Amino acid sequence: MPATMESAAAIGENTWPARLELEFAKRGPRSVLAARRHDGPLVVQKPHYPEGDGICHAIIVHPPGGIAGGDELELTAELGAGSSALLTTPGATKWYRSAGAWARQQIIFRVYVGASLEWLPQESIVFDGAHADARLDVEIHGDGSFIGWEIICLGRSGSAERFNQGQWRSRTTIKRDGKPLWFERGQLAGGDRALEVPAVLAGKPVVGTMLAASDKLTPSLLAACREIAPSRGDGAITLLPGLLVGRYLGESSEAAKNYFTKLWHVVRPGLIGRPGIEPRIWRT
Amino acid sequence: MTNDHLLRLLQLASPALPVGAFSYSQGLEAAVEAGIVHDRETALCWIGDLLNYSLATMEAPVLLRLIDGFRAKDFTAVEHWNDLFLASRESAELRAETVQMGFSLARLLKELSGIDTEALRELYRLGDISFPCAFACAVASWNLPPAQALAAYLWSWAENQAMAALKLVPLGQTDGQRMLLALGERIGAIGERAAQLGDDDIGVFMPRLAILSSRHETQYSRLFRS
Repeated sequence: MPATMESAAAIGENTWPARLELEFAKRGPRSVLAARRHDGPLVVQKPHYPEGDGICHAIIVHPPGGIAGGDELELTAELGAGSSALLTTPGATKWYRSAGAWARQQIIFRVYVGASLEWLPQESIVFDGAHADARLDVEIHGDGSFIGWEIICLGRSGSAERFNQGQWRSRTTIKRDGKPLWFERGQLAGGDRALEVPAVLAGKPVVGTMLAASDKLTPSLLAACREIAPSRGDGAITLLPGLLVGRYLGESSEAAKNYFTKLWHVVRPGLIGRPGIEPRIWRT
Repeated sequence: MTNDHLLRLLQLASPALPVGAFSYSQGLEAAVEAGIVHDRETALCWIGDLLNYSLATMEAPVLLRLIDGFRAKDFTAVEHWNDLFLASRESAELRAETVQMGFSLARLLKELSGIDTEALRELYRLGDISFPCAFACAVASWNLPPAQALAAYLWSWAENQAMAALKLVPLGQTDGQRMLLALGERIGAIGERAAQLGDDDIGVFMPRLAILSSRHETQYSRLFRS
């Protein structure tokens, strides 16, 4: 969308849509970014190949730096048969305080036969007073595989801010050949009792979920993951049919990221057939 | 509701229903192990929070939709809600629990009279049958009123949790009955809330329960299978 139309949308309807669609394809030995379309401020940096031709690394950037009330972000990525990609983000996603307008993010991934997608974003920080609605829908076909995580920090816990006002909604689904493997939907109001009660968030601001969907998951992989613990906070692993689930609950986004990264090093060789090589952007 | 309906609901909600519910604590054993639940007050808080944050927004509205699906013979809807419920289970043992209980009830229904044969065939076609799905099949076949069926379902869940708390905390019988009285008072409102939820508001998010239940899978000493 041209800049003038963006401003018109931002002012006129008080919404700022941003859409990015990516298509990855296998061309010979190489996984390439075969097509990209974007409207508004959501872009992908030039793909790079730190692990060789087989897997395409791409960094998704939202130049405004934060998601404000009225923003509508939509990211779609399709992994064509046999292709592999790793997507990450350069920094934390910030959900700004809003007077009441919702900010929305919808992510749709389609992973076709023989393809693999890794979605390893930095944490999302939900500011006190934000109205955040985040959805992630993953559709896997045949023997495709997906590894992804979401780390949510409710309130800027670094500055001791609590999530006292606003709304946070989240929905995650993973389906394989149309059959749901995973469905989780959270809805919390700022100051909600659920933030404190021991069965839900137990007063902890940082909650993370790591999901690995594959037909190559084994009990020995589960056992290896269970050897790992977060440096701070609580973590645990379970193995559902076709889906490994890792959880973090605590006070540190950094500890959550480190925990999931360690788990990723354990599961990646078996699922993607490659050792874990951490994206350089994580260290900057 | 007729007395016949009431008696059928009592039968479905009874701890004597041979589905093995008594062997599951749904995370309560892990909560005791973690020191979260240690007396009547903390047990009631834990069980009440599960009722409020999990059953009220997931199991209860899904059960109502499954009953509707069986009544309307909309087996696509039955499959959809059964699959979604299974995909919402937070850990291997919580999923195994509902699948084992669902399978046991489905097997029992085959031997009981008055169960709609088409509904039963569709139930078996599902593969993994969740417990609410098998329960809904019986409710619809016997033409029991949905709101009361939901109350009976939630009651039997609460009773099973209270019995688990008696063994685990441990608590006396009178404490158990006091907890049940308190939990029972909330069931009506939870049923009404469940009946009003739109499809897009259905869901569950219980990270701490998920962590505790996942850990319970390797807990050294345990009485319960969840």
